Amino acid sequence: MRAEFDVIIIGGGITGAGTARDCALRGLRVLLVERHDIATGATGRNHGLLHSGARYAVTDRESAAECIKENMILKNIARHCVDDTSGLFITLPEDDLDYQAVFVKSCLAAGIKAEVIDPKEAIRMEPSVNPSLIGAVKVPDGSVDPFRLCASNVLDAKLHGAKVLVYSEVTEFIKDGDTVRGVKVLDHRTGEVSEYYAPVTVNAGGIWGHRLAGMAGVNVGMFPAKGSLLIFAHRVNNVVINRCRKPANADILVPGDTVCIIGTTSTRVPYEECDNMAATPAEVDLLLTEGAKLAPGLAHTRILRAYAGVRPLVSADNDPSGRNISRGIVLLDHEERDGVKGFITITGGKLMTYRLMAQMASDAVCRKLRINADCITARTPLPGSRPGGLEKVARKIWEVPTTVQKAVVGRVGTRAATLSPEDDYAGSLVCECEEVPVSEVDAAIERMDVHNLVDLRRRTRVGMGTCQGELCACRAAGRMAQASGCTAKARADLKSFINERWKGMYPVGWGDTLRESAYTQWVYSEVLGLNGKI
Amino acid sequence: MKFDVILIGGGLSSLVCGIRLQKAGRRCLMVSAGQNALHFSSGAFGLLGSLPDGTAVQYPLEAIPSLPAGHPYAKIGVGKIAEYAAMAPGFFESCGVHLVAAAAAADPVLRSVRNGFRFTATGTMKPAWLAMSEVAFFPTEEALRDSDGVPVESALIVNFAGFLDFNARFIAEGLEKNGIRCRLETVRIDDVERLRKNPSEMRSVNIARVMTREQNWKGFAYQVKELMKGEDMVVLPEVFGLGGELIPQWLSEMIPAKVTYVGTMPPSVCGIRTQMRLKEAFESAGGTFLLGDEVLDPEVEDGRVLCVRTSNLGSMRLVADSYVLASGNLFGNGLTAAPGEFREPVFGLDVDYPQDRSDWYDPDFFAKQNYIGVGVKTDGAFHPYIAGRVVENLYVAGSEVGGCNSLAEGSGAGVAIMTAFKVADGILGRQEPANA
Repeated sequence: MRAEFDVIIIGGGITGAGTARDCALRGLRVLLVERHDIATGATGRNHGLLHSGARYAVTDRESAAECIKENMILKNIARHCVDDTSGLFITLPEDDLDYQAVFVKSCLAAGIKAEVIDPKEAIRMEPSVNPSLIGAVKVPDGSVDPFRLCASNVLDAKLHGAKVLVYSEVTEFIKDGDTVRGVKVLDHRTGEVSEYYAPVTVNAGGIWGHRLAGMAGVNVGMFPAKGSLLIFAHRVNNVVINRCRKPANADILVPGDTVCIIGTTSTRVPYEECDNMAATPAEVDLLLTEGAKLAPGLAHTRILRAYAGVRPLVSADNDPSGRNISRGIVLLDHEERDGVKGFITITGGKLMTYRLMAQMASDAVCRKLRINADCITARTPLPGSRPGGLEKVARKIWEVPTTVQKAVVGRVGTRAATLSPEDDYAGSLVCECEEVPVSEVDAAIERMDVHNLVDLRRRTRVGMGTCQGELCACRAAGRMAQASGCTAKARADLKSFINERWKGMYPVGWGDTLRESAYTQWVYSEVLGLNGKI
Repeated sequence: MKFDVILIGGGLSSLVCGIRLQKAGRRCLMVSAGQNALHFSSGAFGLLGSLPDGTAVQYPLEAIPSLPAGHPYAKIGVGKIAEYAAMAPGFFESCGVHLVAAAAAADPVLRSVRNGFRFTATGTMKPAWLAMSEVAFFPTEEALRDSDGVPVESALIVNFAGFLDFNARFIAEGLEKNGIRCRLETVRIDDVERLRKNPSEMRSVNIARVMTREQNWKGFAYQVKELMKGEDMVVLPEVFGLGGELIPQWLSEMIPAKVTYVGTMPPSVCGIRTQMRLKEAFESAGGTFLLGDEVLDPEVEDGRVLCVRTSNLGSMRLVADSYVLASGNLFGNGLTAAPGEFREPVFGLDVDYPQDRSDWYDPDFFAKQNYIGVGVKTDGAFHPYIAGRVVENLYVAGSEVGGCNSLAEGSGAGVAIMTAFKVADGILGRQEPANA
């Protein structure tokens, strides 16, 4: 099979998804290739922090300025992915209060509204904050759902004609001398290998971009910096809480949907380990100890799970943790840099600056194609954040009870109108923790490249809540079996989904987390007999 | 207040022990925090499904001598287990709980119990010793037969429209693997449709409550009859037996085929019914049952429990000659886990657990998990220890007892029942078990 495109984008993380959308909006014929599901790498393994940029104001002014600009853009174009919580930078008795003045000055210089407030005011604003704080600065931090943001970009790219291949891995670059002409792609689901051609190929592989670049014959030096995080079972805080000091371990607590997340750590890891990241017991202990300093309530809040991701930092000087490497965006035109034509790499950067990265990459693609097309992503809302009041849109799902409506509209935004309310049973809940109804699950299976339960979780939050999939996984597997007609696959998928949830639970396996696991274990292994003979 | 025995926990083990003691004339107080493992029962009781090394067991009694010395069954001894096992069905029958066993020869004794197979909601077979009367339970793994012993060839699986907790496709796949042709149908019952108005109401127990009404179960049976195309088995979600075994029996009489019931997602309707029956049996024998209360502030001196108190009764000293702790494992809060240790929260009893936390878990969820097998250390009579010293008038029963991984072995209910009988006999001062 031979297929021609204007541009091939490798990597279904937020950078690749954003670039695919940007190029598609500019009228290019786009192919997006992802070897797993979308948002499986660093995109889905971070805080979900809508940075104000304040964190980098002192150490990395350029990134800080990019962050605040993108922060304001995302609050407009991705309303349904963003929770505008605002944030605090607190100074604890053990911290240097003098740093606060430097911090505020740097924020203001980067264009970030930073306001020193009275510690008592900070406690009123966020009652969970450590009451022994001696200083507080209010900044426009927020939270963003990275899965939803990535899926919305992919969805919009597809609405504008992009072809999206998930579970498809680039195995080889098709080269003609020193020119990249296209890629060979292995479809992991069918085992088929296809060839795709385009004048430009974009490497948006994040940390895996190092390997992709190597396959294309160029070297991109990366610095794989592992970060571990913990999710707590309650939304302990409503305002993002940061430590007002130089960036260090476990100094950000972000509320997200029904949970909150403490992170991160930062350790260099070998490339070979990037595919299999897990938080170590030592990291878990550190996150707990440091986290409780931000919000003491965390010490007795149930931990849902631990997870880890790898930041795709671009290697600079000899920095063992990677804390001092710029979060700046790196765009490499390999023709200029290495003499390899038709190939560019977009890397570095952050979730926060994905849109800008996509714009820079798409600009480079257009230059190479000698096409004049403006970037419109800074002003074009994503699907789900289109104009029109949510109230009006939500009327289409009036059939279901109010809390479910709110949950659905919160997740899919204005796309709620496209869910099928005519089905009598569409309102039945698959996931009670996150209030995900059948209609939303079915729509995701049908339209959003969902091939297994983990994909479904990334699209809908099924299994992300308090019970970690205990009850909803089995129900969702039933919907998957109905959609695919393949029960054996759905059963195997259910087992691997339960195992995927367990992977994040046993590193924090004590207290109510282990209690819940014990219950899940009895229900799935014994009562439902999922490990039994068939 | 003074009792002969105070039992802590209201699950299977505590109830069995309490009923035995109360029927033997002891004044018992039982303190239950609320729900217990019966509420998410599989509908069947396992005695021993496999050995600790994973070898499948066909005759549980034959396998008991090969268990390690610290195993609760090893402490009781195979002779007594055989007697208790023979006595168990009659004991439950006398409590209004009808259980079915896979047929086995009376001789030799060690083959008098044979594992049958419960057909699960995901279409698999799990070994079991006794099954609640309506659940899908078969004498062998391979041959699914109707009541006349004729192999089943075709099945109709019927669900309530929109009920997500009963996965007919999984069940069909499992039956088809056994050579049974399957058809899937759904029915609508007005009262169940009303439940759907609140999406979280569409759960097994709520449907079961609605289905105790005569017009509903009759209406259901008529619809099933209409849907049948000569199938010789009808598979239904296990939501008809909340009031008793009669409705499932009547459905069987109305529907012209073998009718069997497969468990749904929890809660378990027949498990709840069993718990209710056992609680009634305990109370009607004169036992006192405190529901929604928990034991705290015990006084222990010189290796003896002097008294306990409860959350609701405050400072009142509850005194007994003997105390039984059967408050479950992790899920029942009979044990709690902290990052470095397991604890028994009421008395602070010595607990047996791997010292290195990484040994608590297997990265494969479905492999044997050591944390599930953690339990209280006991002597041969199931007396526990505090800081190495035995507590003479305190006994531990059920899943709180250490020495076995009952999930991996398929021995959860078996350990609950056997330790309950053994502890009751210990309290009654019996060397040999008397008749129930």
